[in-house]
Amino acid sequence: MIEQHHMRQFLLFVFALLIPTFVLWTVASGPLAAPAIGLVNLILTHWFPDVVNTLYVDGSQALLMTEFGEKDGMLAPLAGAEYRLGFPVNTRILSYSLPFYTALHFATQKKEYLYSYVRGLLILYPLFVFGLLCLCLKELMVNVGATFFNQPGVFVPNANVIGILYQFNVLIVPTLAPAIVWLWQSKESQLLRSALGNL
Amino acid sequence: MTRFVTVFLLLLLTLFTLEVLKPVQEHVIVPFTGMLASLSDAIILPFDSSVVAYGKVLQFRDTGFAVSIEAGCNGVEAAIVLIAAIIAFPARWRDRLLAIGLGFLAIQVINLIRIISLFYLGNWNMDVFSWIHLYLWPALIMLDVLIVFVVYLRYLSRNKQPTAATGD
Repeated sequence: MIEQHHMRQFLLFVFALLIPTFVLWTVASGPLAAPAIGLVNLILTHWFPDVVNTLYVDGSQALLMTEFGEKDGMLAPLAGAEYRLGFPVNTRILSYSLPFYTALHFATQKKEYLYSYVRGLLILYPLFVFGLLCLCLKELMVNVGATFFNQPGVFVPNANVIGILYQFNVLIVPTLAPAIVWLWQSKESQLLRSALGNL
Repeated sequence: MTRFVTVFLLLLLTLFTLEVLKPVQEHVIVPFTGMLASLSDAIILPFDSSVVAYGKVLQFRDTGFAVSIEAGCNGVEAAIVLIAAIIAFPARWRDRLLAIGLGFLAIQVINLIRIISLFYLGNWNMDVFSWIHLYLWPALIMLDVLIVFVVYLRYLSRNKQPTAATGD
């Protein structure tokens, strides 16, 4: 009965917290993503200086600007192009791990909330940064193509590796990482202790 | 716990890599997604005459709004997470297989609710549709996986034989 009570309480709290945390995150997703965008900008502009111009915050998303333009629908060097080619990157498809973790964390009865919450965020944020890097690599692979892969003297990951990393970081990590961090941090909670029993 | 996490992550990577391989997509994922689309059609059509279905597409006659149920909408990734967690946790194979079967069913029931709710939400408001489709429903599906796993742990804890080994 006590086990059911813990589970019921957890479910009630998690459903009550999901909508407000997601709404808050929607409002704050631009500023939240800014440090990650800045870091990935540093990595990409140093890794691919001849391909990536900059990655910057554009409202709630990021814009990945290249060193190329477009002429007659074809990729062209910037000098002869009509405009600089850039691609929007939706950072929210990665950063929703943060409100999901927030809802899980605060829905669980614990002795201490804030310190462990900050520790959880410190684990999730680097994963968000890595996911954003993979998302940008996928954009460059799809939109710049052979020019991206054939940069002299620059290591470019294999297309299959970029594809798998992109899929894994978009489809699995944003929901799985908060769940793992929550499980790890909640193993001493009454909810999990009562579920684990004598296992 | 460390052993569980290591085995879980290895299994997860293996299953996920298998899932994205072309033959697996062609012979397993695409037919399964088609079956899910047919099931969604079969649930909606008897209750709503304003909806038509062809193949994996559901459409409203009056507004013309349509959704196509594609790979990625099929709950397979969530099922992979659950399968990896169940196998990584020490238990008898009979319990593991039972949990995988029931857990897969639980995920697919929630996923059907997701598909149908998104179809109606999209007809009402595209912004709300995109927000719930891209961000809220994936979190809810993972929450479903978490709950199934915690319930499975509770089942194992209650049914643990005093003389039985904890791993196979």
